[in-house]
Amino acid sequence: MEKLHNSLDFHKRTLLTGGLILVFIWSLFSIKWGPDLLHPGGGTILLQIIKALFHPNLSSEILKLSLISAWRTLAYAVAGMTLAIAFAFILGILASGVLAKDKPGRLISKGILRGLLGFMRAIHELVWAWLFVASIGLTPFAAIFALVIPYGGTLGRIFADILNDVPEEPISALKSSGASKLQLLLYGYLPFAKTDMISYTMYRFECAVRSSTIMSFVGLGGLGYQIQLALQDLNYNDVWTYLFFLVALVVVIDFWSNILRRGLVE
Amino acid sequence: MKQNKRDLKLFKFGVVKLSLLLALILMIASWMFVYKVDHADFLGLFSAKNAFYSKKFLKGLLGIGAKSPAFLSIDSWQVALKLTYETLQMSIMAIGFATLGMIFTVIPAARNATNGTLTVSKKWYSQILFGIIRSAYIFSRAIPELVWAMIIIFVFKPGILAGALALGIYNFGILGKLCTEVVEDLDLKPIRNLASCGAGTGQILLYGIIPTVMPKFMTFIFYRWEVIIRTPIVVGFVGAGGLGQQFKFSMSYFQYSELSLLLICYLLLVAFADLLSEGSRRAIR
Repeated sequence: MEKLHNSLDFHKRTLLTGGLILVFIWSLFSIKWGPDLLHPGGGTILLQIIKALFHPNLSSEILKLSLISAWRTLAYAVAGMTLAIAFAFILGILASGVLAKDKPGRLISKGILRGLLGFMRAIHELVWAWLFVASIGLTPFAAIFALVIPYGGTLGRIFADILNDVPEEPISALKSSGASKLQLLLYGYLPFAKTDMISYTMYRFECAVRSSTIMSFVGLGGLGYQIQLALQDLNYNDVWTYLFFLVALVVVIDFWSNILRRGLVE
Repeated sequence: MKQNKRDLKLFKFGVVKLSLLLALILMIASWMFVYKVDHADFLGLFSAKNAFYSKKFLKGLLGIGAKSPAFLSIDSWQVALKLTYETLQMSIMAIGFATLGMIFTVIPAARNATNGTLTVSKKWYSQILFGIIRSAYIFSRAIPELVWAMIIIFVFKPGILAGALALGIYNFGILGKLCTEVVEDLDLKPIRNLASCGAGTGQILLYGIIPTVMPKFMTFIFYRWEVIIRTPIVVGFVGAGGLGQQFKFSMSYFQYSELSLLLICYLLLVAFADLLSEGSRRAIR
Protein backbone atom coordinates (compact mmCIF):
# COMPACT_ATOMS: atom_id res chain seq x y z
CA MET A 1 0.00 0.00 0.00
CA GLU A 2 2.76 2.34 0.94
CA LYS A 3 4.59 1.42 -2.22
CA LEU A 4 1.56 2.30 -4.31
CA HIS A 5 1.24 5.56 -2.45
CA ASN A 6 4.89 6.33 -3.03
CA SER A 7 4.69 5.60 -6.73
CA LEU A 8 1.56 7.75 -7.02
CA ASP A 9 3.45 10.50 -5.26
CA PHE A 10 6.30 10.08 -7.65
CA HIS A 11 3.98 10.31 -10.62
CA LYS A 12 2.34 13.41 -9.26
CA ARG A 13 5.73 15.03 -9.09
CA THR A 14 6.69 13.92 -12.59
CA LEU A 15 3.38 15.13 -13.94
CA LEU A 16 3.83 18.48 -12.29
CA THR A 17 7.36 18.82 -13.63
CA GLY A 18 6.19 17.93 -17.12
CA GLY A 19 3.33 20.40 -16.85
CA LEU A 20 5.65 23.15 -15.76
CA ILE A 21 8.01 22.51 -18.65
CA LEU A 22 5.06 22.70 -21.03
CA VAL A 23 3.92 25.97 -19.50
CA PHE A 24 7.40 27.38 -19.96
CA ILE A 25 7.46 26.33 -23.62
CA TRP A 26 4.00 27.85 -24.09
CA SER A 27 5.29 31.13 -22.68
CA LEU A 28 8.11 31.12 -25.22
CA PHE A 29 5.56 31.13 -28.03
CA SER A 30 4.29 34.53 -26.96
CA ILE A 31 7.36 36.11 -28.55
CA LYS A 32 7.87 36.55 -32.24
CA TRP A 33 11.38 35.17 -32.48
CA GLY A 34 13.66 36.73 -35.01
CA PRO A 35 16.33 39.35 -35.51
CA ASP A 36 13.75 42.06 -34.80
CA LEU A 37 14.15 41.44 -31.10
CA LEU A 38 17.57 43.03 -31.03
CA HIS A 39 18.27 46.67 -31.58
CA PRO A 40 20.14 47.27 -34.80
CA GLY A 41 23.71 47.14 -33.58
CA GLY A 42 22.61 45.54 -30.33
CA GLY A 43 25.28 42.88 -30.73
CA THR A 44 28.08 45.41 -30.83
CA ILE A 45 26.71 47.19 -27.80
CA LEU A 46 26.61 43.88 -25.96
CA LEU A 47 30.25 43.30 -26.86
CA GLN A 48 31.15 46.80 -25.67
CA ILE A 49 29.38 46.22 -22.38
CA ILE A 50 31.16 42.90 -21.86
CA LYS A 51 34.51 44.44 -22.78
CA ALA A 52 33.93 47.24 -20.29
CA LEU A 53 33.44 44.61 -17.57
CA PHE A 54 37.17 43.93 -17.68
CA HIS A 55 38.11 47.60 -17.77
CA PRO A 56 36.07 49.33 -15.08
CA ASN A 57 36.85 53.00 -14.71
CA LEU A 58 39.11 53.24 -11.66
CA SER A 59 39.97 56.93 -11.76
CA SER A 60 39.97 58.61 -8.36
CA GLU A 61 37.02 60.87 -9.21
CA ILE A 62 34.78 57.97 -10.08
CA LEU A 63 35.94 55.99 -7.06
CA LYS A 64 35.15 58.90 -4.77
CA LEU A 65 31.74 59.37 -6.35
CA SER A 66 31.06 55.64 -6.03
CA LEU A 67 31.95 55.70 -2.35
CA ILE A 68 29.60 58.59 -1.62
CA SER A 69 26.84 57.02 -3.70
CA ALA A 70 27.31 53.67 -2.01
CA TRP A 71 27.01 55.36 1.39
CA ARG A 72 23.86 57.17 0.32
CA THR A 73 22.33 53.92 -0.91
CA LEU A 74 23.27 52.23 2.37
CA ALA A 75 22.03 55.13 4.48
CA TYR A 76 18.58 55.06 2.90
CA ALA A 77 18.39 51.31 3.26
CA VAL A 78 19.27 51.59 6.95
CA ALA A 79 16.86 54.47 7.52
CA GLY A 80 14.07 52.51 5.86
CA MET A 81 14.90 49.36 7.78
CA THR A 82 14.87 51.13 11.17
CA LEU A 83 11.28 52.20 10.71
CA ALA A 84 10.33 48.91 9.04
CA ILE A 85 11.67 46.91 12.00
CA ALA A 86 9.79 49.10 14.46
CA PHE A 87 6.51 48.72 12.56
CA ALA A 88 7.06 45.02 11.91
CA PHE A 89 7.78 44.37 15.56
CA ILE A 90 4.56 45.94 16.75
CA LEU A 91 2.37 44.67 13.92
CA GLY A 92 3.98 41.23 14.00
CA ILE A 93 3.31 40.74 17.70
CA LEU A 94 -0.29 41.87 17.27
CA ALA A 95 -0.76 39.72 14.16
CA SER A 96 0.58 36.62 15.89
CA GLY A 97 -2.26 36.91 18.40
CA VAL A 98 -0.09 36.05 21.42
CA LEU A 99 -1.30 39.12 23.30
CA ALA A 100 -5.01 38.50 22.71
CA LYS A 101 -7.01 37.54 25.76
CA ASP A 102 -9.55 35.12 24.31
CA LYS A 103 -10.12 33.18 21.16
CA PRO A 104 -12.41 35.57 19.25
CA GLY A 105 -10.07 38.44 20.10
CA ARG A 106 -7.15 36.50 18.76
CA LEU A 107 -8.95 35.63 15.55
CA ILE A 108 -9.98 39.23 14.96
CA SER A 109 -6.50 40.66 15.58
CA LYS A 110 -4.94 37.93 13.49
CA GLY A 111 -7.35 38.34 10.62
CA ILE A 112 -7.25 42.11 10.38
CA LEU A 113 -3.53 42.54 10.89
CA ARG A 114 -2.50 39.68 8.64
CA GLY A 115 -4.67 41.17 5.92
CA LEU A 116 -3.04 44.55 6.46
CA LEU A 117 0.45 43.06 6.34
CA GLY A 118 -0.49 41.14 3.20
CA PHE A 119 -1.64 44.32 1.50
CA MET A 120 1.54 46.15 2.54
CA ARG A 121 3.78 43.61 0.94
CA ALA A 122 1.65 42.81 -2.10
CA ILE A 123 2.67 46.06 -3.75
CA HIS A 124 6.29 46.39 -4.79
CA GLU A 125 8.43 49.11 -3.20
CA LEU A 126 8.95 50.92 -6.47
CA VAL A 127 5.21 51.17 -7.03
CA TRP A 128 4.85 52.59 -3.54
CA ALA A 129 7.63 55.02 -4.38
CA TRP A 130 5.76 56.25 -7.46
CA LEU A 131 2.58 56.65 -5.50
CA PHE A 132 4.38 58.62 -2.80
CA VAL A 133 6.16 60.85 -5.27
CA ALA A 134 2.85 61.61 -6.91
CA SER A 135 1.33 62.62 -3.60
CA ILE A 136 4.13 64.14 -1.48
CA GLY A 137 6.65 65.07 -4.15
CA LEU A 138 10.32 64.28 -4.47
CA THR A 139 11.49 64.21 -0.87
CA PRO A 140 13.79 61.73 0.85
CA PHE A 141 10.75 60.55 2.75
CA ALA A 142 9.08 59.31 -0.42
CA ALA A 143 11.90 56.82 -0.80
CA ILE A 144 12.02 55.94 2.88
CA PHE A 145 8.28 55.39 3.20
CA ALA A 146 8.31 53.34 0.02
CA LEU A 147 10.87 51.06 1.64
CA VAL A 148 9.14 50.97 5.01
CA ILE A 149 5.73 49.77 3.83
CA PRO A 150 6.61 46.57 1.91
CA TYR A 151 9.52 45.72 4.20
CA GLY A 152 7.40 46.30 7.29
CA GLY A 153 4.77 44.01 5.76
CA THR A 154 7.16 41.18 4.97
CA LEU A 155 9.06 41.40 8.24
CA GLY A 156 5.84 41.65 10.24
CA ARG A 157 4.39 38.58 8.60
CA ILE A 158 7.59 36.61 9.25
CA PHE A 159 7.83 37.85 12.85
CA ALA A 160 4.25 36.71 13.42
CA ASP A 161 5.02 33.29 11.90
CA ILE A 162 8.14 32.90 14.05
CA LEU A 163 6.23 33.82 17.22
CA ASN A 164 3.54 31.29 16.34
CA ASP A 165 6.17 28.58 15.89
CA VAL A 166 7.56 28.97 19.42
CA PRO A 167 7.30 25.60 21.23
CA GLU A 168 4.29 25.19 23.51
CA GLU A 169 5.87 23.72 26.65
CA PRO A 170 7.85 26.65 28.05
CA ILE A 171 4.91 28.94 27.38
CA SER A 172 2.43 26.76 29.24
CA ALA A 173 4.95 26.40 32.07
CA LEU A 174 5.13 30.17 32.37
CA LYS A 175 1.35 30.40 32.11
CA SER A 176 0.80 27.94 34.91
CA SER A 177 3.11 29.93 37.16
CA GLY A 178 0.79 32.90 36.69
CA ALA A 179 2.55 35.05 34.12
CA SER A 180 0.52 37.79 32.46
CA LYS A 181 0.22 38.06 28.67
CA LEU A 182 2.95 40.70 28.53
CA GLN A 183 5.26 38.64 30.73
CA LEU A 184 4.60 35.63 28.50
CA LEU A 185 5.71 37.69 25.54
CA LEU A 186 8.82 39.11 27.21
CA TYR A 187 10.08 35.98 28.94
CA GLY A 188 8.54 33.22 26.84
CA TYR A 189 8.03 34.14 23.20
CA LEU A 190 10.69 36.73 22.47
CA PRO A 191 13.76 34.90 23.86
CA PHE A 192 12.85 31.89 21.74
CA ALA A 193 12.09 33.86 18.60
CA LYS A 194 15.05 36.24 18.89
CA THR A 195 17.58 34.31 16.81
CA ASP A 196 15.29 33.67 13.88
CA MET A 197 14.00 37.21 13.92
CA ILE A 198 17.47 38.71 13.80
CA SER A 199 18.78 36.46 11.06
CA TYR A 200 15.74 37.09 8.90
CA THR A 201 16.07 40.82 9.49
CA MET A 202 19.66 40.69 8.29
CA TYR A 203 18.57 38.93 5.13
CA ARG A 204 15.96 41.59 4.51
CA PHE A 205 18.56 44.29 5.14
CA GLU A 206 20.56 42.90 2.23
CA CYS A 207 17.42 43.13 0.08
CA ALA A 208 16.81 46.68 1.31
CA VAL A 209 20.17 47.77 -0.08
CA ARG A 210 19.12 46.51 -3.50
CA SER A 211 15.73 48.20 -3.22
CA SER A 212 17.30 51.46 -2.16
CA THR A 213 19.46 51.25 -5.27
CA ILE A 214 16.45 51.16 -7.54
CA MET A 215 14.83 54.09 -5.74
CA SER A 216 16.95 56.16 -8.12
CA PHE A 217 13.93 55.94 -10.37
CA VAL A 218 12.08 58.33 -8.15
CA GLY A 219 15.01 60.70 -7.95
CA LEU A 220 16.93 59.35 -4.99
CA GLY A 221 20.67 59.74 -5.50
CA GLY A 222 22.98 56.85 -4.85
CA LEU A 223 24.43 54.02 -6.86
CA GLY A 224 21.31 53.40 -8.93
CA TYR A 225 21.16 57.03 -9.98
CA GLN A 226 24.81 57.05 -11.01
CA ILE A 227 24.31 53.84 -12.98
CA GLN A 228 21.36 55.39 -14.76
CA LEU A 229 23.36 58.51 -15.64
CA ALA A 230 26.38 56.54 -16.81
CA LEU A 231 24.18 54.34 -18.98
CA GLN A 232 22.59 57.38 -20.58
CA ASP A 233 26.06 58.71 -21.38
CA LEU A 234 27.06 55.29 -22.71
CA ASN A 235 29.94 55.17 -20.21
CA TYR A 236 29.92 51.42 -19.74
CA ASN A 237 33.24 51.46 -17.91
CA ASP A 238 31.76 53.73 -15.23
CA VAL A 239 28.67 51.54 -15.05
CA TRP A 240 30.75 48.55 -14.10
CA THR A 241 32.64 50.49 -11.43
CA TYR A 242 29.35 51.38 -9.75
CA LEU A 243 28.12 47.83 -10.17
CA PHE A 244 31.26 46.51 -8.49
CA PHE A 245 30.63 48.82 -5.55
CA LEU A 246 27.06 47.59 -5.31
CA VAL A 247 28.21 43.98 -5.38
CA ALA A 248 30.82 44.71 -2.71
CA LEU A 249 28.17 46.33 -0.51
CA VAL A 250 25.91 43.31 -0.78
CA VAL A 251 28.77 40.86 -0.21
CA VAL A 252 29.92 42.71 2.93
CA ILE A 253 26.40 42.63 4.38
CA ASP A 254 26.08 38.96 3.47
CA PHE A 255 29.38 38.27 5.27
CA TRP A 256 28.25 40.21 8.33
CA SER A 257 24.96 38.37 8.52
CA ASN A 258 26.76 35.02 8.21
CA ILE A 259 29.08 35.82 11.13
CA LEU A 260 26.21 37.15 13.20
CA ARG A 261 24.11 34.07 12.54
CA ARG A 262 26.99 31.87 13.62
CA GLY A 263 27.38 33.99 16.73
CA LEU A 264 23.69 33.70 17.59
CA VAL A 265 23.45 29.94 17.20
CA GLU A 266 25.37 28.57 20.14
CA MET B 1 39.94 22.31 25.18
CA LYS B 2 37.93 23.99 27.90
CA GLN B 3 39.88 27.19 27.37
CA ASN B 4 39.13 26.94 23.68
CA LYS B 5 35.44 26.52 24.28
CA ARG B 6 35.34 29.54 26.54
CA ASP B 7 37.20 31.57 23.97
CA LEU B 8 34.68 30.55 21.36
CA LYS B 9 31.82 31.55 23.61
CA LEU B 10 33.46 34.87 24.31
CA PHE B 11 33.97 35.39 20.60
CA LYS B 12 30.35 34.64 19.87
CA PHE B 13 29.14 36.94 22.58
CA GLY B 14 31.46 39.61 21.23
CA VAL B 15 30.15 39.23 17.70
CA VAL B 16 26.56 39.71 18.77
CA LYS B 17 27.39 42.74 20.91
CA LEU B 18 29.57 44.31 18.25
CA SER B 19 26.89 43.76 15.63
CA LEU B 20 24.29 45.46 17.80
CA LEU B 21 26.64 48.38 18.36
CA LEU B 22 27.44 48.61 14.68
CA ALA B 23 23.75 48.48 13.79
CA LEU B 24 23.04 51.29 16.24
CA ILE B 25 25.85 53.45 14.86
CA LEU B 26 24.68 52.80 11.31
CA MET B 27 21.13 53.79 12.17
CA ILE B 28 22.15 57.04 13.84
CA ALA B 29 24.60 57.94 11.08
CA SER B 30 22.06 57.17 8.37
CA TRP B 31 19.29 59.25 9.88
CA MET B 32 21.71 62.11 10.50
CA PHE B 33 22.82 61.87 6.88
CA VAL B 34 19.26 61.84 5.61
CA TYR B 35 18.40 64.89 7.72
CA LYS B 36 21.60 66.95 7.44
CA VAL B 37 22.87 66.27 3.93
CA ASP B 38 19.68 65.42 2.07
CA HIS B 39 17.60 67.95 4.04
CA ALA B 40 14.74 65.66 4.86
CA ASP B 41 12.00 67.55 6.63
CA PHE B 42 9.35 65.45 8.27
CA LEU B 43 7.09 68.26 9.44
CA GLY B 44 7.39 69.89 6.04
CA LEU B 45 5.50 66.93 4.63
CA PHE B 46 2.32 68.24 6.17
CA SER B 47 2.24 71.45 4.17
CA ALA B 48 -0.88 72.75 2.49
CA LYS B 49 0.68 72.17 -0.91
CA ASN B 50 1.31 68.50 -0.21
CA ALA B 51 -2.15 68.07 1.21
CA PHE B 52 -3.61 69.57 -1.95
CA TYR B 53 -1.62 67.27 -4.22
CA SER B 54 -2.28 64.18 -2.13
CA LYS B 55 -5.96 64.89 -2.16
CA LYS B 56 -5.96 65.46 -5.88
CA PHE B 57 -3.98 62.26 -6.41
CA LEU B 58 -6.26 60.16 -4.21
CA LYS B 59 -9.34 61.61 -5.87
CA GLY B 60 -7.80 60.79 -9.24
CA LEU B 61 -7.15 57.21 -8.16
CA LEU B 62 -10.74 56.81 -7.05
CA GLY B 63 -11.95 58.34 -10.28
CA ILE B 64 -13.75 61.23 -8.57
CA GLY B 65 -14.24 64.08 -10.99
CA ALA B 66 -13.08 62.09 -13.98
CA LYS B 67 -15.52 61.95 -16.89
CA SER B 68 -15.20 58.20 -17.33
CA PRO B 69 -12.98 56.41 -14.82
CA ALA B 70 -10.92 53.74 -16.53
CA PHE B 71 -12.02 50.97 -14.20
CA LEU B 72 -15.63 51.41 -15.33
CA SER B 73 -14.95 51.08 -19.04
CA ILE B 74 -14.85 47.67 -20.66
CA ASP B 75 -12.22 48.68 -23.21
CA SER B 76 -9.74 49.69 -20.53
CA TRP B 77 -10.36 46.44 -18.70
CA GLN B 78 -9.66 44.51 -21.88
CA VAL B 79 -6.37 46.32 -22.40
CA ALA B 80 -5.37 45.93 -18.78
CA LEU B 81 -6.21 42.23 -18.68
CA LYS B 82 -4.23 41.63 -21.84
CA LEU B 83 -1.26 43.34 -20.21
CA THR B 84 -1.76 41.23 -17.10
CA TYR B 85 -1.68 38.14 -19.25
CA GLU B 86 1.54 39.34 -20.88
CA THR B 87 3.01 39.99 -17.47
CA LEU B 88 2.13 36.47 -16.40
CA GLN B 89 3.85 35.10 -19.48
CA MET B 90 6.87 37.24 -18.75
CA SER B 91 7.14 35.92 -15.23
CA ILE B 92 6.88 32.30 -16.38
CA MET B 93 9.53 32.88 -19.00
CA ALA B 94 11.75 34.54 -16.43
CA ILE B 95 11.55 31.70 -13.92
CA GLY B 96 12.12 29.27 -16.82
CA PHE B 97 15.32 31.03 -17.83
CA ALA B 98 16.49 31.19 -14.24
CA THR B 99 15.76 27.50 -13.71
CA LEU B 100 17.53 26.47 -16.89
CA GLY B 101 20.62 28.43 -15.91
CA MET B 102 20.53 27.02 -12.40
CA ILE B 103 20.12 23.38 -13.53
CA PHE B 104 23.16 23.58 -15.76
CA THR B 105 25.38 25.20 -13.15
CA VAL B 106 24.24 23.86 -9.81
CA ILE B 107 26.34 20.69 -9.69
CA PRO B 108 29.73 22.23 -10.51
CA ALA B 109 28.91 25.07 -8.11
CA ALA B 110 28.41 22.78 -5.12
CA ARG B 111 31.37 22.49 -2.82
CA ASN B 112 31.00 18.73 -2.37
CA ALA B 113 31.02 18.23 -6.14
CA THR B 114 34.18 20.27 -6.50
CA ASN B 115 36.22 18.31 -3.98
CA GLY B 116 35.02 15.05 -5.45
CA THR B 117 32.91 13.66 -2.60
CA LEU B 118 29.68 13.92 -4.57
CA THR B 119 30.47 12.33 -7.90
CA VAL B 120 33.52 10.41 -6.72
CA SER B 121 35.57 11.80 -9.56
CA LYS B 122 37.62 14.94 -9.48
CA LYS B 123 38.59 16.93 -12.52
CA TRP B 124 41.39 19.45 -12.75
CA TYR B 125 39.10 22.20 -13.95
CA SER B 126 36.43 21.80 -11.30
CA GLN B 127 37.99 24.36 -8.94
CA ILE B 128 38.11 27.00 -11.67
CA LEU B 129 34.55 26.25 -12.75
CA PHE B 130 33.42 26.47 -9.14
CA GLY B 131 34.98 29.92 -8.76
CA ILE B 132 33.52 31.26 -11.98
CA ILE B 133 30.00 30.03 -11.33
CA ARG B 134 29.97 31.19 -7.74
CA SER B 135 31.07 34.69 -8.70
CA ALA B 136 28.43 34.72 -11.42
CA TYR B 137 25.81 33.86 -8.77
CA ILE B 138 26.99 36.63 -6.48
CA PHE B 139 27.10 39.15 -9.29
CA SER B 140 23.72 38.36 -10.73
CA ARG B 141 21.91 38.49 -7.43
CA ALA B 142 23.68 41.56 -6.04
CA ILE B 143 22.50 43.69 -8.93
CA PRO B 144 18.76 44.39 -8.78
CA GLU B 145 16.51 43.33 -11.65
CA LEU B 146 15.78 46.92 -12.57
CA VAL B 147 19.44 47.66 -13.21
CA TRP B 148 19.70 44.49 -15.27
CA ALA B 149 16.69 45.66 -17.24
CA MET B 150 18.30 49.06 -17.78
CA ILE B 151 21.36 47.38 -19.27
CA ILE B 152 19.45 44.80 -21.30
CA ILE B 153 17.23 47.42 -22.86
CA PHE B 154 20.36 48.67 -24.63
CA VAL B 155 20.70 45.41 -26.47
CA PHE B 156 17.15 44.14 -26.87
CA LYS B 157 14.16 46.08 -28.08
CA PRO B 158 11.62 46.89 -25.40
CA GLY B 159 9.24 44.00 -24.93
CA ILE B 160 8.49 40.95 -22.89
CA LEU B 161 11.73 39.18 -23.71
CA ALA B 162 13.89 41.99 -22.34
CA GLY B 163 11.97 41.98 -19.08
CA ALA B 164 12.04 38.21 -18.82
CA LEU B 165 15.78 38.17 -19.37
CA ALA B 166 16.39 40.81 -16.70
CA LEU B 167 14.25 38.96 -14.18
CA GLY B 168 15.80 35.67 -15.23
CA ILE B 169 19.38 36.82 -14.70
CA TYR B 170 18.62 38.25 -11.29
CA ASN B 171 16.77 35.16 -10.10
CA PHE B 172 19.37 32.83 -11.58
CA GLY B 173 21.79 34.01 -8.90
CA ILE B 174 19.29 33.57 -6.09
CA LEU B 175 18.06 30.16 -7.25
CA GLY B 176 21.66 29.09 -7.75
CA LYS B 177 22.62 30.06 -4.24
CA LEU B 178 19.60 28.35 -2.67
CA CYS B 179 19.96 25.19 -4.72
CA THR B 180 23.71 24.71 -4.24
CA GLU B 181 22.99 24.72 -0.53
CA VAL B 182 20.53 21.88 -1.09
CA VAL B 183 23.12 19.88 -3.04
CA GLU B 184 25.75 20.54 -0.40
CA ASP B 185 23.46 19.25 2.34
CA LEU B 186 22.77 16.01 0.46
CA ASP B 187 22.96 12.72 2.30
CA LEU B 188 25.92 11.05 0.64
CA LYS B 189 25.20 7.43 1.62
CA PRO B 190 22.93 6.48 -1.30
CA ILE B 191 25.40 8.02 -3.70
CA ARG B 192 28.27 6.08 -2.18
CA ASN B 193 26.17 2.95 -2.64
CA LEU B 194 25.52 3.72 -6.28
CA ALA B 195 29.18 4.44 -6.89
CA SER B 196 30.30 1.23 -5.25
CA CYS B 197 27.88 -0.67 -7.50
CA GLY B 198 29.76 0.81 -10.42
CA ALA B 199 27.48 3.65 -11.48
CA GLY B 200 29.04 6.32 -13.68
CA THR B 201 28.76 10.05 -13.11
CA GLY B 202 25.68 10.33 -15.30
CA GLN B 203 23.94 7.48 -13.54
CA ILE B 204 24.76 8.90 -10.12
CA LEU B 205 23.24 12.17 -11.23
CA LEU B 206 20.12 10.54 -12.61
CA TYR B 207 19.37 8.03 -9.85
CA GLY B 208 21.14 9.45 -6.84
CA ILE B 209 21.09 13.20 -6.91
CA ILE B 210 18.12 14.37 -8.96
CA PRO B 211 15.38 12.42 -7.12
CA THR B 212 16.59 13.69 -3.74
CA VAL B 213 17.02 17.33 -4.59
CA MET B 214 14.08 17.78 -6.95
CA PRO B 215 11.30 18.42 -4.37
CA LYS B 216 13.38 21.07 -2.63
CA PHE B 217 14.30 22.68 -5.93
CA MET B 218 10.61 22.82 -6.79
CA THR B 219 9.81 24.56 -3.53
CA PHE B 220 12.44 27.17 -4.22
CA ILE B 221 11.34 27.64 -7.81
CA PHE B 222 7.77 28.24 -6.73
CA TYR B 223 8.90 30.57 -3.99
CA ARG B 224 10.94 32.62 -6.46
CA TRP B 225 8.08 32.64 -8.94
CA GLU B 226 5.85 34.16 -6.28
CA VAL B 227 8.43 36.90 -5.88
CA ILE B 228 8.92 37.34 -9.61
CA ILE B 229 5.23 37.88 -10.21
CA ARG B 230 5.49 41.02 -8.09
CA THR B 231 8.40 42.44 -10.04
CA PRO B 232 7.45 42.48 -13.76
CA ILE B 233 5.74 45.75 -13.01
CA VAL B 234 9.13 47.08 -12.01
CA VAL B 235 11.13 46.05 -15.06
CA GLY B 236 8.22 47.41 -17.07
CA PHE B 237 9.20 50.87 -15.88
CA VAL B 238 12.25 50.91 -18.09
CA GLY B 239 10.17 49.77 -21.03
CA ALA B 240 10.41 46.05 -20.67
CA GLY B 241 6.75 45.46 -21.44
CA GLY B 242 3.75 44.29 -19.46
CA LEU B 243 1.79 46.12 -16.79
CA GLY B 244 4.74 48.20 -15.67
CA GLN B 245 5.18 49.96 -18.96
CA GLN B 246 1.54 51.00 -19.04
CA PHE B 247 1.79 51.99 -15.39
CA LYS B 248 4.56 54.40 -16.24
CA PHE B 249 2.67 55.84 -19.20
CA SER B 250 -0.46 56.44 -17.13
CA MET B 251 1.69 58.04 -14.44
CA SER B 252 3.33 60.36 -16.94
CA TYR B 253 -0.01 61.39 -18.46
CA PHE B 254 -1.60 61.82 -15.03
CA GLN B 255 -4.36 59.34 -15.85
CA TYR B 256 -4.81 58.27 -12.28
CA SER B 257 -7.99 56.27 -12.68
CA GLU B 258 -6.17 54.09 -15.20
CA LEU B 259 -3.47 53.71 -12.58
CA SER B 260 -5.88 52.25 -10.06
CA LEU B 261 -7.21 49.86 -12.69
CA LEU B 262 -3.66 48.64 -13.31
CA LEU B 263 -3.08 48.31 -9.58
CA ILE B 264 -6.24 46.22 -9.24
CA CYS B 265 -5.04 43.92 -12.04
CA TYR B 266 -1.63 43.71 -10.42
CA LEU B 267 -3.08 42.72 -7.05
CA LEU B 268 -5.31 40.13 -8.74
CA LEU B 269 -2.28 38.66 -10.46
CA VAL B 270 -0.33 38.50 -7.20
CA ALA B 271 -3.23 36.82 -5.40
CA PHE B 272 -3.66 34.34 -8.25
CA ALA B 273 0.04 33.46 -8.21
CA ASP B 274 0.03 32.99 -4.45
CA LEU B 275 -2.93 30.61 -4.65
CA LEU B 276 -1.46 28.65 -7.54
CA SER B 277 1.96 28.21 -6.03
CA GLU B 278 0.51 27.30 -2.63
CA GLY B 279 -1.62 24.63 -4.32
CA SER B 280 1.22 23.15 -6.34
CA ARG B 281 3.52 23.13 -3.35
CA ARG B 282 0.92 21.18 -1.42
CA ALA B 283 0.61 18.76 -4.35
CA ILE B 284 4.30 17.84 -4.39
CA ARG B 285 4.64 17.64 -0.64
